[in-house]
Amino acid sequence: MDYALLIGIFPQVLLDGILLGFMYALIALGYTMVYGVLEFINFAHSEIFIFGAFVGVEILLSLQSAGWLARLPWVVVLILVILAGMLASGLLAVTVERVAYRPLRTAPRLIPLISAIGVSFFLQDVIRLFESMWRNAFNLVYPTMDVMNIRFELTSTLDVSVRSLVVIVAALLMLWSLHVLVNRTKIGTAIRAVAEDQAAASLMGINVNRIISLTFLIGGAMGGAAGVLFGIQYSLINPYTGFIPGLKAFTAAVLGGIGNIPGAMLGGLVLGLLEAFAASYMSLLTGGAFGAEYKDIFAFSVLILILIFRPKGLLGEVVRGRA
Amino acid sequence: MIRAVAAVAAVALSVTLVDLFPRSILVFLAFQLSLLYVYVTRIPAWLRTGLLGVALLVLMPLIGFRNGYYLEVATQVGIFAALALGLNIVVGLAGLLDLGYVAFFAVGAYSWAIVGSPHANLIFGGGFPLAPGWFYVFLFVGLAVAAITGVLLGLPVMRLRGDYLAIVTLGFGEVIRVLANNLDKPINLTNGPKGITPIGRPPLPFGIPYSEGFYFLVLLIVAVVILVNRRLEDSHIGRAWEAMREDELAAQAMGVPLVRAKLLAFACGASFAGVMGVVFSAKQIFINPESFTFLESIGVLAMVILGGMGSIPGAVVGATVVTVLNLQVLKGFSLWLNELKNAGVTVLGYSLADLPTQLEPAKYERMVFGIILVLMMIFRPQGIFPARRRQRELAHTDKVPTAVVP
Amino acid sequence: MTALFDAHGITKCFGGLVAINRVDYALDRGISSIIGPNGAGKTTLFNVFTGLYEPDAGEVTFRGRSLVGLRPDQITALGVCRTFQNIRLFANMTAIENVLVGMHARVRLGLWDALTHPPRFHTVERGLWQRGSELLERVGLRDKANEIARNLPYGDQRRLELARALGSEPALLLLDEPTAGMTQGEAGHLMGLLRRLVADLGLAILLIEHNMRVVMEVSDRVTVLDHGEKIAEGLPREVQGDARVIEAYLGRSSASRSPRAPS
Repeated sequence: MDYALLIGIFPQVLLDGILLGFMYALIALGYTMVYGVLEFINFAHSEIFIFGAFVGVEILLSLQSAGWLARLPWVVVLILVILAGMLASGLLAVTVERVAYRPLRTAPRLIPLISAIGVSFFLQDVIRLFESMWRNAFNLVYPTMDVMNIRFELTSTLDVSVRSLVVIVAALLMLWSLHVLVNRTKIGTAIRAVAEDQAAASLMGINVNRIISLTFLIGGAMGGAAGVLFGIQYSLINPYTGFIPGLKAFTAAVLGGIGNIPGAMLGGLVLGLLEAFAASYMSLLTGGAFGAEYKDIFAFSVLILILIFRPKGLLGEVVRGRA
Repeated sequence: MIRAVAAVAAVALSVTLVDLFPRSILVFLAFQLSLLYVYVTRIPAWLRTGLLGVALLVLMPLIGFRNGYYLEVATQVGIFAALALGLNIVVGLAGLLDLGYVAFFAVGAYSWAIVGSPHANLIFGGGFPLAPGWFYVFLFVGLAVAAITGVLLGLPVMRLRGDYLAIVTLGFGEVIRVLANNLDKPINLTNGPKGITPIGRPPLPFGIPYSEGFYFLVLLIVAVVILVNRRLEDSHIGRAWEAMREDELAAQAMGVPLVRAKLLAFACGASFAGVMGVVFSAKQIFINPESFTFLESIGVLAMVILGGMGSIPGAVVGATVVTVLNLQVLKGFSLWLNELKNAGVTVLGYSLADLPTQLEPAKYERMVFGIILVLMMIFRPQGIFPARRRQRELAHTDKVPTAVVP
Repeated sequence: MTALFDAHGITKCFGGLVAINRVDYALDRGISSIIGPNGAGKTTLFNVFTGLYEPDAGEVTFRGRSLVGLRPDQITALGVCRTFQNIRLFANMTAIENVLVGMHARVRLGLWDALTHPPRFHTVERGLWQRGSELLERVGLRDKANEIARNLPYGDQRRLELARALGSEPALLLLDEPTAGMTQGEAGHLMGLLRRLVADLGLAILLIEHNMRVVMEVSDRVTVLDHGEKIAEGLPREVQGDARVIEAYLGRSSASRSPRAPS
């Protein structure tokens, strides 16, 4: 048992966990916000997430082929791409809600869930179709911006790349903005009101349908941003890459307390850290008998255990009050 | 009278056409549509059963001799029909949304694959593969193993609310897939992504060739599954499931033990998948984790939903439509498109040969499933053939129930 | 002599709210009623009796057996069955099917029987249908046996719920506001039916009711709850004249009560 090695990799694993955690947190926000206002699991959110990644990659590839990628300052490119991803994903989410969920709002709970599954599958192949026609390929690679690869050595065992820093900073900015939006603005209050009690909120003059659309917009935008960051971090995307992170982010949302926005952030971080540690240490400790894919099982096990033993999650559920 | 003649004519005509044009997918589709027509149209029961019986037992194998692929399609339809009927019990009767149903299919398949191939020698040292006759025993072993898996997977989650239950079952399905993909170390149980092959095939009576043999075997199993479904539906168990689906709280207050009833539904549904898994692995000779993914679970769900939740004919029709869509229509579209490309056809000045090579309609199953699910939920959630009240009704004159003619 | 049904010291809290506070209740036979203003805790008490809630304190015994901690289906199997304040029928099943489900606890068949349909299965099933038919006859719904439950008129739905509960062959029947929404005529009919049930089947019946005329006419004994406590108990006439009861109903201020307190 090489304890030195185990301790040595700790800082790096910690960093990986935080990175992963922020990513999950951003995606989880989409699930939790929608669940908060509608008590509905937006199964298609994983595709809304990866759609943002695809919008990002298309913009980057276009910039690259036009020769501008190297010429523009990378911060500008980054902000452009993230904003584009957010806008696109947000609009997609709103459209999906209008077309596939709103007609089913009064149906028994399982019906819209099945519809959401259908949307998820549909979107996967739509993206594939588009990319097949447009680029004759649907496994796409994010163009590298050399600046991203610069690494800073913090300690002898830990170095962090500009890429990771960018992801962390962007995620933090986004989480903070959401916090401000939800807690300090009128819109945010309206969203929280609808999440608490739809009937009372509408009696107070809140246009519930508009707020619901807005919730999908914001949640979708968070997912889109996560998509772009995902692409920047992991480079390779295809229309089916959204599924597993989406499922894990949902786990994170439940872990933190579904419907609870700080809960989603906390749940994302906790799950990211747990997964990073599980992936690195399990593999080392068992001499490679437990391969990388087991970390996926790990996340699912967390989900199952949470739902059995503490379905309210860490910070407690926030669901619609009953009149 | 006219309908009876039309029905017989439709079948006879389409079969003749298939005989004349064995390569035409459209013609085969016409044959299948003629069978559907026989099923729905109002003709005397004896004629319906007779025509369908002849079509399935005689005509289909004959078609198989003309074009082996069609028999393959028919066999696949049968396999998925049994799966859809199993999921129908869980989702349609008991109202539990199971998104990981393919796990039971996988468990059954691997149970025969491991011992029916030399693979087990890696685990036990020797003595494998088992003699092919063991296949018939393993039909029951697969059933039992899948049922037990159903109970094990169901136990922790039975108290969960509907949508959470769905996600957790999805998780279980993924866990089984990842396990299948990774259990090649420390002991090599499943051989990981490389899969297991060659898997032994059962000895068939009368020296029937394998494609026909499997077809009849699948047909037999589907018939048994339908019988079991009907019997369960018409019993206190089926009524308890329906009550549970309608109102869980009230069902419990009326004496229905919820956890036990749910586990029973799970186990019954799982057992059908387990049996078919065994058949599947023997038929394919080769299995690997790729055949048991979330896509397959959703495919079976789409079949049940399209056909009609809780409806036995619905499950069969749903399985037929979806399988045909994937195996015939999409594939046919792919082939047709290729032919057009090769012929240099142009559409509105755009040469089809310029279409990107990655564009292959056969791969767009997800889109098909997705559209089916969304459209059905919005426009016809009860399915094409909604569960009809074919259950017994109390007669007005006497106190003894009489069966209702469907 | 041990009472058929005996509960004492029942306390149930929801968060900080005490819904039921050390209530004792016992009954033996005949028709008893529990009345009280909205929010008094009547349905909560029912839910405790039938296993939907577990009491924070207190004991519930039925025929000498403790019911605390048992699941609702187990309690039904022991002989205590209930109906619901908002009708909870199996909406898409027929009337006779609803009653058949009510009999589930009494069916002595297993999975194997359901799969193989041996002669025993057919005998038992025939018996079930026969009995179901009789129960529907009893409540006057025999000719609507094959109607889908949700298509039945309101009054019929209430009677169907009653028939369904009778399916489990209970010794004690708990009815939650059975005459709600009925006209006086219909309510009178239902009370006549209940009295016949007690006479013919030897049932004990416990009602929650708001219809005072019905309560006073049909009950052998009345208990009054207010704010989760028992404030009076006795013969209908005694309770009617009780000063505390009158104050509870008429001297009530309209100070808002927490909307979350179940009644």
